[in-house]
Amino acid sequence: MLRTLSLILPVLVPSWRFFKSVEPSPRVQWALVADGSPTDWREFRPGPAVVTPFEMLMRLFWNPARNDALFLVSLAERIVQNPTPHSINEVNKRILADLAPDQVSTGQSVQFRLVFVSRNGEARSEEVLYVSEPVKGGAK
Amino acid sequence: MSFDLALRASEILLALAFIQSSAEHVFGTRDAPLLFAVRGVLAVLVLFNIAVPWALIGLCLHSVVALHRYQGPYNGGSDRMGLLVLYCVTLAHVLPAGLISETAFGYLGIQVVMSYFISGKVKIVNPDWRSGRALADVFAFSAYPVSERLRDLANRPRQMMLASWPVIGFELVFPISLLWAPALVLALTIAFAFHLANACLFGLNRFVWVWVASYPSLLWIQGRIGLF
Repeated sequence: MLRTLSLILPVLVPSWRFFKSVEPSPRVQWALVADGSPTDWREFRPGPAVVTPFEMLMRLFWNPARNDALFLVSLAERIVQNPTPHSINEVNKRILADLAPDQVSTGQSVQFRLVFVSRNGEARSEEVLYVSEPVKGGAK
Repeated sequence: MSFDLALRASEILLALAFIQSSAEHVFGTRDAPLLFAVRGVLAVLVLFNIAVPWALIGLCLHSVVALHRYQGPYNGGSDRMGLLVLYCVTLAHVLPAGLISETAFGYLGIQVVMSYFISGKVKIVNPDWRSGRALADVFAFSAYPVSERLRDLANRPRQMMLASWPVIGFELVFPISLLWAPALVLALTIAFAFHLANACLFGLNRFVWVWVASYPSLLWIQGRIGLF
């Protein structure tokens, strides 16, 4: 009951402080694990290089991939603030779901990390704030 | 706009927004498809004016299940606004007609005004927003730009500042528009264009539809408190 209340209260009394400041922004990267170590970190679901104006307009009505990407951003922020099995599983589930069967051989594991991008003075700065435990491929 | 008309307009617009987002879950990501198929069906009932109070109560119960399923809103601010519209419209239906029912719907209007005003207030006190730096940062490294090419806009500091100030100014003066019906219509048109731009540039399409669903409450409030 208390949990339900804590979920509903921010809806009934919202803060509306959109973009009060621009906080470090998460990127989810994943890697296959070989011999206990992650191999090659790759960005998970990287954004497209270009989106045409027509595609932008169409996405007003149909935008599931983008909205799931935004949920992934929320999950990454939650994990850094307060890691829970739910948030970690949701990220793992999406990474494993996107992998083709031949990308993960039997017994091989997958790992993800959260890289937070920010501006440090005039330079772009990246910091790894979370590295997940490896999970076996196929364990969706 | 009369109370009944405003309430019905909000219901219809909210139902359309829920059908759109439910379809994305059921046919797009296929994440919890059954959960969102139920929401889609309930929204269709509201859209076609079938057992509306019961369908709204069903949607409220569904929202609790969905909040638990995702341990919070799936889609941040747009989900929060969508649920706020839903809760206020439902209360306006189930509470005794008259002042109490109108207060529930009026609360929605007040929150919509605050959604713009507070967003403007937190920006104007931030030097980075006043200089355009914050908007440049949004384009440079935030997760929001829908394409990598859009990140190049961060390298145009003057345009970033010129784009920031109208947004901040509009958000701050939005409440004043309630005093005069034509001003409110103009303000809502600008607000709609603002949400459209956010949807195109940052992929925030659900914000457009749920905020529009809240606008009838403002049109009704304006009729109650407007000076002109």
